[in-house]
Amino acid sequence: MELTWALMIVIYLFTAGLSAGAMITSNLAFLYGGKDFERVSRWGAYISPFPISFGLAVLLLDLGSPFNFYRLFLTLEVRSPMSYGSWAILLFTGLSIIYLYLWLPEKYQVIGHFKNSEQWKKWLSKFMPFLSVGVASYTGLLLNAAVSPLWKATLLPVLFLVSALSTGVASVILLSTISPWQRARHKELHVLTKVDAGLIILECLIILIMISMGRLSSMSESYAFGSLLYGQYAWIFWFLIVGLGLTIPLLLELMELKDKIPVKWALPVTISSSFLVLLGGFFVRYVITYAGQTSGWF
Amino acid sequence: MAVRMGFVIITSRCIDCDACMVACRSENDVPLRHTRNWVKSSGVQGQFPKVREVFRPGNCMHCDHPPCVSVCPTGASQKRADGIVIIENSKCIGCKYCIVACPYDARFANPETGKADKCTLCLHRLVQGLKPACVQTCLGKSRQAGDLNDPESIVSKLIAKYPTRVLLEQVGTGPNIYYIDEAVPEIPEGK
Repeated sequence: MELTWALMIVIYLFTAGLSAGAMITSNLAFLYGGKDFERVSRWGAYISPFPISFGLAVLLLDLGSPFNFYRLFLTLEVRSPMSYGSWAILLFTGLSIIYLYLWLPEKYQVIGHFKNSEQWKKWLSKFMPFLSVGVASYTGLLLNAAVSPLWKATLLPVLFLVSALSTGVASVILLSTISPWQRARHKELHVLTKVDAGLIILECLIILIMISMGRLSSMSESYAFGSLLYGQYAWIFWFLIVGLGLTIPLLLELMELKDKIPVKWALPVTISSSFLVLLGGFFVRYVITYAGQTSGWF
Repeated sequence: MAVRMGFVIITSRCIDCDACMVACRSENDVPLRHTRNWVKSSGVQGQFPKVREVFRPGNCMHCDHPPCVSVCPTGASQKRADGIVIIENSKCIGCKYCIVACPYDARFANPETGKADKCTLCLHRLVQGLKPACVQTCLGKSRQAGDLNDPESIVSKLIAKYPTRVLLEQVGTGPNIYYIDEAVPEIPEGK
């Protein structure tokens, strides 16, 4: 079946969340961790602008009239999440590039060095979490406004927000573990892993509540959520999201936190658990986007 | 009272000839494999020998609270003062948000223009004093269009006389196609 909003939109929803999550991770590590968490802050800043830029490029290609896209920025339609979301994302992407620049080693700051760059970093780190929460949850509001029985779920923005934070943290863990330069220290990874495990548990709870609420709502909504539980999306939901995306990384992370992983396995386990979180996050967007369109009102 | 344009569709008078779809396509240059209006079948109902099949023509409901208009990020989707929901093509970026937001599936992405596309209630014909092409061509007189707020209109007279229903009332869109399922032996005179 040909869908109106397909893979391109899924990629966009995923990358916007990923960038926002990486940004918050970096900001909070910088504000509350300081020097001890410098590698986390740095990698978060380095990651942040790229997924969302890629997502925006993909989104542009998905437009029927891509050369007309500037129309988005000639107006602000307060009732359209896409309208205020576009503005928020424009601001986010711009500021995330500035933020990345501030984190570059001095020799790479080719277009001039800010005199009080630490001050700027601090200021941005205080502001960006709010903008990032906006960017991450707006993707849920975007679907909320298109009144499909699945997308109507009030918890959707919260689910997308928590999933965004989780994928953001996971992306920082992944890159700061495999990079030979500015590699994260054990203490940093420990805290990140703890946070991510917490986020996964929270995400499981939200999914559980969301599905229960959906199942108890009208026939159309119940049926829409049924397509995840036992319908055409069941294998993606149970295998790729619940199994590979939530349960396995959670177990791996809990084992890491309890030091149950032998040292020689530590690196592959960290890499695979964070990769699985990213995979799960992607398929959360996938399943919601697709199932929202294949289920209608009746 | 303000003009509120809408349709009355009498399912008992529809024979599924699909002339409305052909007329609309030819009038509005609708690309093949897409359509602005449709005729849906109820499928076979009942048990042999008491079986029946009901045809339900449809198109954009020109809703009172159109989600396609509120989600549009550029203001291209608009509800006119007379109730007709239209797309201002020059503003449309083809994001397809309105298409996914319509619970009636009344919009499609036009591959030739790169814009969202839908029923305009044949606005260009209305200004010439003509009926919409689908209404004009309907041989069973199943399709009727007009001002729902004008008591002298055909649609108002039909709504006053027969029980009506609208589709997906629970979604809260306030659709402006009123369906009559009862037999209507005579179409009243009116505007």
